Amino acid sequence: MLDLLRDLMDTAAGRCSYADVRRVDRMTERVSTLNGAVEGIEDFESDGIGIRVRAGSGWGFAATSDVSRAGAERTLRRALALAESQPLGRAGPLAPAPPAAGRWDGPCAKDPFAVSPEQKLSLLLDADEAMRGDGRIVRTHGHVMLRRAVQAFASSEGATYEQTMTECGGGIAVFALQDGELQERSYPGGHGGDVAAAGWEHVESLDLVGAAPRIAEEAVELLSAPPCPEGVTTVVLGPDQLALQLHESIGHALELDRMLGIEAAYAGTSWVSPQDLGHARYGSDLLHVTADATLPGALGSFGWDDEGVPGQRQALIQEGVLRGALSSRESAAAAGLAGSSGCMRADGFTRQPLVRMTNVSIEPGQAGSLEELVADTGEGLFLETNRSWSIDDRRLQFQFATEVGREIRGGRLGRLYRNPSYAGLTPHFWGSMDAACSASEWRLHGLVNCGKGEPGQVMHVSHGAVPARFRDVQVGVA
Amino acid sequence: MSLAEGLPDGGEALTTAERALSYSGGDAQVTVIRERSLLSRFAHSQPTQATEVDAVRVSVICVRDGHPGEAGTTNLDDDALRDVARRASAAAEATARAGPGRYPSLPVPGLTRLHQGYDVETAALAPARAGAALRTVFEIARRSRLEASGAWTAGVVETAVASSAGMAQRDSVTDAQLRVVMTAAGGRTGFASGTAKAAAGIDESAVAERAAGLVDGGEPVELPPGAYPVVLGPAAVADLLDFAGGLAFNGLAFAEGRSPISGRLGQRVAAACINLSDSPRFALTLPRAFDAEGVPKQPLPLVQDGVAHAVVHDTRSAALAGGAARSTGHALVPGGALSGPAPTNLVLTGGGAADEEELAVPIERGIHVTRLWYVNPVDAKRGLLTGMTRDGTFLIEDGRRTRPLRDVRFTDEILRILSATQALTAGQQLVGLGHFYGPRFAYGAVTPALRADGFRVTSSTAG
Repeated sequence: MLDLLRDLMDTAAGRCSYADVRRVDRMTERVSTLNGAVEGIEDFESDGIGIRVRAGSGWGFAATSDVSRAGAERTLRRALALAESQPLGRAGPLAPAPPAAGRWDGPCAKDPFAVSPEQKLSLLLDADEAMRGDGRIVRTHGHVMLRRAVQAFASSEGATYEQTMTECGGGIAVFALQDGELQERSYPGGHGGDVAAAGWEHVESLDLVGAAPRIAEEAVELLSAPPCPEGVTTVVLGPDQLALQLHESIGHALELDRMLGIEAAYAGTSWVSPQDLGHARYGSDLLHVTADATLPGALGSFGWDDEGVPGQRQALIQEGVLRGALSSRESAAAAGLAGSSGCMRADGFTRQPLVRMTNVSIEPGQAGSLEELVADTGEGLFLETNRSWSIDDRRLQFQFATEVGREIRGGRLGRLYRNPSYAGLTPHFWGSMDAACSASEWRLHGLVNCGKGEPGQVMHVSHGAVPARFRDVQVGVA
Repeated sequence: MSLAEGLPDGGEALTTAERALSYSGGDAQVTVIRERSLLSRFAHSQPTQATEVDAVRVSVICVRDGHPGEAGTTNLDDDALRDVARRASAAAEATARAGPGRYPSLPVPGLTRLHQGYDVETAALAPARAGAALRTVFEIARRSRLEASGAWTAGVVETAVASSAGMAQRDSVTDAQLRVVMTAAGGRTGFASGTAKAAAGIDESAVAERAAGLVDGGEPVELPPGAYPVVLGPAAVADLLDFAGGLAFNGLAFAEGRSPISGRLGQRVAAACINLSDSPRFALTLPRAFDAEGVPKQPLPLVQDGVAHAVVHDTRSAALAGGAARSTGHALVPGGALSGPAPTNLVLTGGGAADEEELAVPIERGIHVTRLWYVNPVDAKRGLLTGMTRDGTFLIEDGRRTRPLRDVRFTDEILRILSATQALTAGQQLVGLGHFYGPRFAYGAVTPALRADGFRVTSSTAG
């Protein structure tokens, strides 16, 4: 396959200033149960080629599922015609990048595609049964998903690589209903559970069956729990909610295309600009955030991004000060940066790469365990598992709701609150963080529903997070 | 036969579907979707990305003892089609070993109707058309001393369904869309969009001029949290209706008691001026002949004079609902989506107001909202949503739009807004709602602007 891709790039080289081509062969499987029965088993295999060219001042990208030589050559011609049809614009340079070369394979101890459907169903049906029993439970759901992408890449600058990424994970959810009140609990996270760059061993580590009775009991208990009080208080965010908070208010805000206004019409812009790099205050002195595409087991890890820049680790925020941005070769050059931070990623062969966050994670603090953090907090709220999220187009004003809140009283976790929510402004919120748990509490949380781009692209990414404490937070806003 | 008037001969998708079906034993249904599309994005009045897609996907569902197994591929050669049929069958047999299932029988062929949702010129997908559209927008931005961002797109999608239940049909549809955000030097923005079955149905100049007309260079004022009278433009109304479709009129959520209108059919759920239907053959909409399971699309009144009348079903949700429930032709994916069915041709009947300015006349102090952003459910059972306004939010004082407002966050219930609706414009607009994650599925809501009371603002964006 690399021979065909190299030949295509040789053909393109004389007709455009830059070109790259990806072949992506992706297999996905999803097994799900609903209300005590099998919902279905689905698998989907997609295989195709996406070619991106820059001709004149315009970019053109064309994709095809015809992977023959003739199909690929036709697609190259279409990409060139598309680029040449664009109105004239300012074609900025691409930041330099040494040509990629080699092979990279993500971790996978137990091949999830080799696990039988019966074994997957047995796990899910056992978890489902463990969630049922109370008459107020109206819906139980479980799923596992697996994906393997085999990718080959070549560029007109002589880069070639092959890489394979395997993803595996799942989750369970339960809904309880009484007198018009509907409550959901899910595990190990909302919106698709938890997925990792790993094999079946990750699903085994989740212990879905073991967690099922607890979330079912909590869903029922929430039906009669008092509503989250409205006011300003101290909040401790659980690590799964902190992961989404990072994703929405730091990860997206630091995508350089947004900071440059390139995504203004759709995904939006950012409250920080390239001129803020190096000095803008993003949060408290305790806030340290990195983007790391080399983390084992993380969904945003790879050998090279989709324009051939190696995966790398960079500091985004140090001691609360903005230090870096998530960039591509084009956006890095436009912002005057020395090089790309390797964040160009595409969703399969039919989409062109965009600036996407890699694994944006908060570095652990020194507050010890969650139990120690709660003990140190005295009074407040502990919030976990996202239920709803919304943030403005500059990634500044946000409002989140979680599935569950717990009162913190006398340094201990107390009664449940239903329908908890909180809101804030990004720099004020992160500026109010006065404690973060220690490394023993740090773990990755995989998100598989990050949308961006036109046509839309869904990206998978992980965030390393610990429980952390925030002062003077507005809660009970919904 | 072709269901779209003017569709050229071809039918390769149906041939492929029938070929895959021939490799599938027992109960099986094959869906083939071929997408060809162009999408050109722009920012700072410069082209930024241009994408052309030519891709096909084949999905096979086999049913064994009430259990479905599904497999898909993008490869059309015989070996690949045999393999996808084998994988679907193996998946269904594996699930069947868990005991009898609840998956209903595959749908039988129904009477599909011709529509006018296919345009030959749009299907040609000439890249020059995209270039010309962008040049028009850029010129208006230049004259207005603004910068333009947005996207122009057009596509053609051919869908074929063949099944062991006797289904053998295909449909082709085209669509075109233009979305423009104009930005002033101070950062104020205005948004407008156009969506149509044909690229020629979009007046690029008019869309760009409308967006430019919403950019007010004045200093925006801040509105404290509270409940305000509101004029919602068609784009904002369309977003709310889309959520109403997925949360309230979703037959699966309804049957499971999770819908805001569960148990409320026949009861008043909105103001008497609200008449909402799913109307796949309404003149302005993006028609299609059948849903993702091959079930014919038909008009379905959802709310009549404010009274909840019906919910939409796919075959799975209809089976769960039981009784007289049948698929209404609203499956979103082959076999039905886990989230349930949803209406994709929503039409909200217009009222008597001449325009949005007339809607504002009775308002002493309120808000004019052009567009909503990042809307998500907070409480699905209540239909409680939160989101932001953007790209054209204004203060209404003494019956007219006076000053730009800082964007606000709203947290409010869809049915409360529809219950508090006082007036609607006579004119309607098709607002495109598809974001094209996965295979292109263009859909939208045909809606007027409306005025409602008590729109709940929960915070304002800081400067």
